[in-house]
Amino acid sequence: MEAAYPRRWRPSRYGIAALLGGAVLLVATASSILSFLVRQVPARASLFGLPAVVLMVAGTYYGVRVLREHEEAHRRRDRVRAFFLLGAGMLLWLLVLDLFTFTQAAGPRVALLCALACLPTTAFGLFVIRRLDRNEKEPWRLVLIATAWGAIVSTSLVVWGESLWDAIAVRTLVPGPALDASIAYSAGIFEETSKGVAVLLLYLVMRDEFDDVVDGILYGAAVGLGFNFMESITYMTHLYAIFQPEGQGLDAAAAQWYSRQVLGLFFGHATYTALIGAGVGIARQLPRLRDRLVCIFCGFLIAIAAHFAWDAWVQFFPISQSAFGLVEIHLRTLFMEGPFTALVLLLLAMGLRVEGSALVRQLRAEAQSGTGTVEPEEVAVLASPWRRFRSRLRALGQSGLRAYLRLARLQRAQLDLAMERWHRERNEIDAPLEAEDLLRKRVLALRAAAT
Amino acid sequence: MVQSEESLRPLYRLMVGSGVVGVLILALGLATILKFAPPGQASGLKARIVGVYPYDPATHRVTGPASTHFPRTQPFAAKVDWSALPGGVVVGARWYNTLDEPVGGVGPATAASLAATGALVPVMTPPGLHANLPGNYTLAVTRYSRGQPVELLGREVVLVERSG
Repeated sequence: MEAAYPRRWRPSRYGIAALLGGAVLLVATASSILSFLVRQVPARASLFGLPAVVLMVAGTYYGVRVLREHEEAHRRRDRVRAFFLLGAGMLLWLLVLDLFTFTQAAGPRVALLCALACLPTTAFGLFVIRRLDRNEKEPWRLVLIATAWGAIVSTSLVVWGESLWDAIAVRTLVPGPALDASIAYSAGIFEETSKGVAVLLLYLVMRDEFDDVVDGILYGAAVGLGFNFMESITYMTHLYAIFQPEGQGLDAAAAQWYSRQVLGLFFGHATYTALIGAGVGIARQLPRLRDRLVCIFCGFLIAIAAHFAWDAWVQFFPISQSAFGLVEIHLRTLFMEGPFTALVLLLLAMGLRVEGSALVRQLRAEAQSGTGTVEPEEVAVLASPWRRFRSRLRALGQSGLRAYLRLARLQRAQLDLAMERWHRERNEIDAPLEAEDLLRKRVLALRAAAT
Repeated sequence: MVQSEESLRPLYRLMVGSGVVGVLILALGLATILKFAPPGQASGLKARIVGVYPYDPATHRVTGPASTHFPRTQPFAAKVDWSALPGGVVVGARWYNTLDEPVGGVGPATAASLAATGALVPVMTPPGLHANLPGNYTLAVTRYSRGQPVELLGREVVLVERSG
């Protein structure tokens, strides 16, 4: 079988992924052991957090296998394993979070209510960012795995690093802008690195589902939304516990919810990690290793800087106690975070443009090849998300929901084929040419079923 | 050899440009640290914090033994041995609550003047609250130079309990 990307060292990315995964486990293990030796940070969080991380890693492994496996029986078995392992990991971590750390003071009921309050907004965020991937939507399973990693694994990785850095900073620096800047460095470096690892792992392991800058932004934002979900619960319960004795607990938690889950939903962590994802996504399509490394590094740099800028300099924009304070909060977010979110949107728009024009060209070429997978009159429809949707609606009106779903599957397979052709043209895939032929057969089978 | 017509150069350049902006922002952060905590300010001085005591705001005196835990409704103040510091050194002390908000302090003034008045460092309950917020309260004793705090001379942490 002939590989389109014939470099012999190609599979080394799996080795790098294994190294990264191993490093994540090592950090989590070290964190757990250190928690026993030095009782500076919530020790029980790391003790119980470690099994949660292991379960999440194992669940992710089986989840990824589901996406790669072709045998239906094996897929089903791995799906069940992934479901239970991820579920157990999440439950264990929620237990840790709710019972042993910040939520201890607020109580499990408050923690549960906070989690329930953050669920719809986070789900909305995920729905929106997935919709932005107009041409080839990523599978929900992978998007949710990215979110879960951001929420559970990434948050647990930063506990020790940030605690140690902050403990040293408060003992050496005077309170004020210098200390704030130091702690902002800590948050930017540790949190963005821990979130970026998840994006890097997806890039290394799930190359087939990580096509370009658009996918990078999507996965990065999903990891960021997951992190933001868990951080919101932590802050809401923490502030509830502080203000509850004054009878202002609900107000404090609600203010945090609005600030993090409404106003900052797309501006904060989602933007930062989307910038990392953009760097990784662009690197995905660059032929030279040096350029790839530069691109990934720049993504991390701007993400860390964006996070740092907010944490370090937000104190220079104090909010007044007057009614105008409400406006000021929004203006401050727009002024400080807006430029970075605008950068993400610009990268996304440029990526969509490149991707769109490539898909149109590949769809035309496929139509001209006469294989029957794409008809010439279908090219314009497939190139436009709106026209694709209208054609599915027509199918729904004429033949019902099953026809709608069949056509949706056919369109998705056709776009997958065009994307595969694009990557092969750019020597960006390591799957053999037979994989493309398999996609063609799949399209033809779906077309037969649809008609 | 890549033959695709779509160029990724603009995306690459934008990413590299963003990385440069990132470096500038982080450098600005470093400048902030250097400005507000300039190097070469270590005097070797250490402030001795005698203890944190229950405090009576009416008489401005401490009452009872030193403690590291206080109920929310109990005002408290720190006693610092100002006389142990060189008299001409300008110092101050601030309390920060669990939200890192300043909630009371003394100075900046010369150590001699603070020692002469036996200045205590009480925690003030912020307006709008009935009692102190629960959580860790940190006392920072700092040395001032040209009107800004430049060196941490001492630090103490006490806990305000949720109950009480």
